Amino acid sequence: MSKIKKKRLGFVLDMTPLVDITFLLLTFFMFTAKFKSDAENQQKFEIKRPQTQSDTAKIPEKDLVMIKIAVDTVAKDTAFYLSMVAEQDIAELRSRMKEGGFPEVDEKSIVYKIKDTVWLGKAIFYCRDANRNAVFAIDADRRLKYRWVEQAMNELRKKKATTFNFVTEKKNGGL
Amino acid sequence: MAGGGELGGGQKQRRGKAGKRKAKKRLGFRLDMTPLVDITFLLLTFFMLTTSMITPQTMEMSVPPEIDTPIEVKQSELLTIRIRQDGMVFYNTGVDAPQRFAAPSRSKSGSADYKKTLAEIKKVVVDQNVALKNRCIVVLKADGEAPYGLVVQVLDELNSAEAEIIDRLKREHGINERKRKFTVSPYVAKDAEELMGL
Repeated sequence: MSKIKKKRLGFVLDMTPLVDITFLLLTFFMFTAKFKSDAENQQKFEIKRPQTQSDTAKIPEKDLVMIKIAVDTVAKDTAFYLSMVAEQDIAELRSRMKEGGFPEVDEKSIVYKIKDTVWLGKAIFYCRDANRNAVFAIDADRRLKYRWVEQAMNELRKKKATTFNFVTEKKNGGL
Repeated sequence: MAGGGELGGGQKQRRGKAGKRKAKKRLGFRLDMTPLVDITFLLLTFFMLTTSMITPQTMEMSVPPEIDTPIEVKQSELLTIRIRQDGMVFYNTGVDAPQRFAAPSRSKSGSADYKKTLAEIKKVVVDQNVALKNRCIVVLKADGEAPYGLVVQVLDELNSAEAEIIDRLKREHGINERKRKFTVSPYVAKDAEELMGL
């Protein structure tokens, strides 16, 4: 005796709430996403920032001059990497660096790899010349020797930029 | 898929019967959302995985401008914190012999943990500031070979000590104004000599 098989009805699920939430999340992540800048795209190193407690401020976006100190993963040498953020500043700094005779400057340079303090001092001067309100930030790897940071601090001090920032990372787990 | 739209005019002409015409109930319009959901989920996963929520923070730092005339301070009002090249931290007031802070504990992975050292630094700095009633000057000197991460951690500790100092000065001495903060000064050969073998 064969039983008559009832054809199974395809079931329909209302996807609308799912789509709503997904879109909401998508929009949120799309708006909050921050993409790598050109300067970050060129770098060949990773920086492990020093960890501090949470009483620190956010990094200023405008008028920022970033001085990164890190070890190149390919060439294995430590150097200062100086770059400005605003489009106008980048162009201004480029023309000044060119006039000053910095080696390896072309039409696309954004980041300047500087190996000695003399050029670092000059570059800091050009930055301040390009933008009166330039704010300096030192972004160095926590495993580096303090000497490198000290040199950068001295150069900033000589160029009368006595207030600057250290880029840090929030320590997880509180105290 | 999208067949719902044809219910309108075409049928009216075909069925052109006069008189009362039953208003046909409009069929619910169904759109297959699967491809849309697929793509949306794909994008959502992409953005979720690529976004980093940890934004870098900054610690503001001020260094004294270059001046030719040195400022004279009393030795007794000076608290020097020195970081030796191997990461040991020492402190001394005035010309006293340097004392060592707790050594960092080494974890199994070999990374140093300065939690204890930093807590001691904070305690000494706060106590000294309160004892000297606002006239203490903290000077930080770090050897060029010391890790930068440690220097920043000490600076951070000095920064966070400020709040406690202000609070205690107010409660214990009734002083509302905080005048002197800490400074960074270069580590010279004399410092290295003094800390040798300690």
